[in-house]
Amino acid sequence: MSLYRRISNLLSRSRVERDIEDELRSHLDMRMEDNLAAGMSPEQARRDALLRFGNPVTTRERVAAMDVALALENIWSDIRYALRQVRKFPIFAATTILTLALGIGATTAIFTVMNAVLLRSLPVPNPRQLFYLNVPTQQPYGAWNTGNGDTSFSRPVFEALRQDHRAFSDVMAFAPLSNDKVAIRIGDDSPEQAFGDMVSGNFFSGLGVPMARGRGFTLEDEKQHAAVAVLNYAYWTRRFSRNPSVLGQSIYIKGLPFTIIGVAGEDFPGVEPGQLTDLWIPLQRGPELSPWGQSGDLKLYGSPNWWCLMLIARLAPGVTARQAVAEATPAFQAAAYASLGTPDPSHPKVTLALLPAKGIQGLGDNYREPITILMALVTLVLIIACCNVAMLLVARNASRQRDFSLRMALGARRSALLRQLLTESGLLVLAGTLLGWLFALGGARALAAWSQLEVNLKPDRTILLFACIVSVFAALVFGLAPLRTATNAPVTAALRATPSTSYQRKRRSSAVLVLQVALCFTLLTAAGLLLRTLLKYEQTNLGMRTQGLLVFGITPQRTMDSDAKFIFYRELLDRMRSLPGVESATLMDNRLGSGWSNNDEPTVDGVKYSSEQVPLRTNNAGPDYLHVLGIPLLVGRDILDSDTQSSPRVVVVNETFVKKLLPNTSPIGHHLGDPKDHPYTIVGVARDSKYRSVDEKPRAMAYYPYTQNGGAFATVQVELRTSGDPLSLLPLVERAVHEMDANVPLEKPMTQAAVFEDSYSQPRLFSRLAMFFGLLAALLVGIGLYGTLSYRISRRSTEIGVRMALGAQRQQVSRMVLRESLQIAAIGIGIGIPAALLTGHLMGSMLYALDPFDSVSLLLALTGVVGISLAAGYLPAHRAASIDPMQALRNE
Amino acid sequence: MAKNDLQGTLDLLVLKTLSQTGSLHGYGIVLHIQRASDELLRAEEGSLYPALHRMEQNGWIASDWALTETGRKAKYYKLTAAGRKQLQEAEKDFEQLVKGVRAILRYA
Repeated sequence: MSLYRRISNLLSRSRVERDIEDELRSHLDMRMEDNLAAGMSPEQARRDALLRFGNPVTTRERVAAMDVALALENIWSDIRYALRQVRKFPIFAATTILTLALGIGATTAIFTVMNAVLLRSLPVPNPRQLFYLNVPTQQPYGAWNTGNGDTSFSRPVFEALRQDHRAFSDVMAFAPLSNDKVAIRIGDDSPEQAFGDMVSGNFFSGLGVPMARGRGFTLEDEKQHAAVAVLNYAYWTRRFSRNPSVLGQSIYIKGLPFTIIGVAGEDFPGVEPGQLTDLWIPLQRGPELSPWGQSGDLKLYGSPNWWCLMLIARLAPGVTARQAVAEATPAFQAAAYASLGTPDPSHPKVTLALLPAKGIQGLGDNYREPITILMALVTLVLIIACCNVAMLLVARNASRQRDFSLRMALGARRSALLRQLLTESGLLVLAGTLLGWLFALGGARALAAWSQLEVNLKPDRTILLFACIVSVFAALVFGLAPLRTATNAPVTAALRATPSTSYQRKRRSSAVLVLQVALCFTLLTAAGLLLRTLLKYEQTNLGMRTQGLLVFGITPQRTMDSDAKFIFYRELLDRMRSLPGVESATLMDNRLGSGWSNNDEPTVDGVKYSSEQVPLRTNNAGPDYLHVLGIPLLVGRDILDSDTQSSPRVVVVNETFVKKLLPNTSPIGHHLGDPKDHPYTIVGVARDSKYRSVDEKPRAMAYYPYTQNGGAFATVQVELRTSGDPLSLLPLVERAVHEMDANVPLEKPMTQAAVFEDSYSQPRLFSRLAMFFGLLAALLVGIGLYGTLSYRISRRSTEIGVRMALGAQRQQVSRMVLRESLQIAAIGIGIGIPAALLTGHLMGSMLYALDPFDSVSLLLALTGVVGISLAAGYLPAHRAASIDPMQALRNE
Repeated sequence: MAKNDLQGTLDLLVLKTLSQTGSLHGYGIVLHIQRASDELLRAEEGSLYPALHRMEQNGWIASDWALTETGRKAKYYKLTAAGRKQLQEAEKDFEQLVKGVRAILRYA
């Protein structure tokens, strides 16, 4: 022992403990003195003193146990002892802490997302009283909707419901200013875009949103349709750097000035599903600012059959959701049918439902299943991690068993040993949890960025609680499990020279390994399924050439009638075509791959089909549509510049249209549409191509010239084809549009390829996460197998030595080790296959173009697990084969 | 009913010893009990020290380091006020125990 260590030991040893030792020694010394005086030899005197005194170690511990002061010191000394152990075995400690941190971090990160998407309430007083209003039956027959069939209400319905204070203390209405972001301008800056909602006057007061600055809206603001705006705190931070002087400033929305009068409380995200609302304005009456950016004949005030407002309500005190529905339904139905006349008895009456304002409405439905499955997968990773740590601790404690037994033989109490081991485990769990919390913070932030989910992922109390529960669970699993084996060993057995392998313990650790392998196999299968799904998405033939295509939206900001818009669009197209680098240009109503579509019921040659028989999707398209997008034309012609408002009405359809509606005939010249109302003549047939998303099935499709179908649409999507990098066109395009109207921004400019890639960003995210979990699980299982096998080899070195001395070949020995590893893998896979099949079945909705019982994924997982067990067995096998029999036997 | 057991008896012996001698170290207490009981009782040395420390935690006795007659450092114990009260109670309990045991032995 170094001098330094001795001195520091002396200093760090407890004063109280030294006191006890001194007292006992003085007792022994006095006895010896008396014995010497009585005539004994020094040796006799010492023996007699010790005999009378008994075991001094035991006595010392018993005395110490009586001292309260020592109890506190004991905890401290346990911690110091544990820290010393950590320092002595840094690799063991680092592996344990890291494994645990990865498990806890991954689980907490996924839970953070799950919490935000499915569980979290709005940050307002009594959030449990808040409910989104819902129409499970969709709007009444004959009413117009917004594409959001079950969440929208008409203004008369809103007015009726807000009068009825028996069911709801407040009903708040909100509607987006556009299908997407809306054009805004601040001062003389160039136009930009933000998410904006128009809301009823009681929006902030009814929800109970506190104001960070200024004031919210009043009913008077709603009545006057005041030109005032409230900013989201996050938007205020991002766009205005929390400048308090924005109050009173003007912000131009679609070119109209609004005065900023307030900033909403810090954590309030708005009530739009899955989206942070940047700013709010009161309900507006003018045609320039209509809900959903509608520019046609539909108006918030004046179109009682237009269901365009979303509603969120606060229950009246003491009323349950069920009572509120019963209370409000008569008024709701009366208002719903007031402007439609007597409801057609063949259609079911509209009904009302309440959905708790929790998590992300709407989005929650899409994400519930995948997130729950991800949560389950990550829990498996956590279990594997905990098992690993437990096995590590068991193995380590087993190797310290002689040390423990020795200490117990010398009189150490079992409880003291237990306390010491618990302290050690506790310390490791604490470190793992802290590191895991850091991982979780980073992980959640990365998830938010990848998933493009605009949700607040700030850790809150729920998440902290969750992380604590997880780590307490981890602490229990591996803090306590190893203790039993560590301290239950019979003292005499452990003190014998040879460490004997306990058959029972071996079986137990094998069972844990088998469980881990089974879980790992399940995870790898899930990862394989999701990876193959992603590949299917990437390999799907879109039916067009997306390389070299740039797309952006344009919304004319001045109120224009259809004719003026057609002129505007025509000019826009001409300007785009003349830009250097632009090979060709067209425009359309719905951007491809964005999830939007127009849907209709086809009438072909006077025969009407319902949308159940043949659903028809349509898009309004500009000239050269097929040519620009690279969709092959099969028969006839493309839409042309010459297809104008005044020319004969024409339509281009797709292959599926022909197959379903005009089989066995030449489709050219047939008519689509009401025969009494200038039907469209089919002039061309295009190959099927993707419209809304990559994973859609082929559907009958009709492309109308945008000049001929309905009025001009509010926002036009422009597609440009170039031979170079599409995004490099942007500055030129921006300048050209600015010359036409300084208030018009380019909306979501991106490559067409990126639009389609974004349409499967969710599967991509899930497949990446699942792969990460799979790899993590594989790594952990590999480490666990390797550790256990090495430990067993080290314990069996004598036995292996004997075998080799008796003539076993090195190859046989290494094969024996590998066989053990593979046996564990085989049993694990056997148990894992049903679990993997079940997981695949549960994941059905997350898969695309893939059988849930995909044999390739199973095979991949199988190869993975076998590979891991061979790799984990290789080193121990090699070590076993290179045991020197002489050396091993001499150790005995 | 008197609450009494072996441990209580050791406590009583130690407290009584300290009340008779004023202040004494552990070894001295062992010798005193042996001598005063005419070698009939022998305090178990291994049990004495835990008992002393427990009584000290209870506030019955107080301790201090001092030098013995032979110039050796030793820890001396003496009774506190609470210890004196405890001694009275312990003596009363013990009297009752002895009376009770004797009554059983004489019961015919």
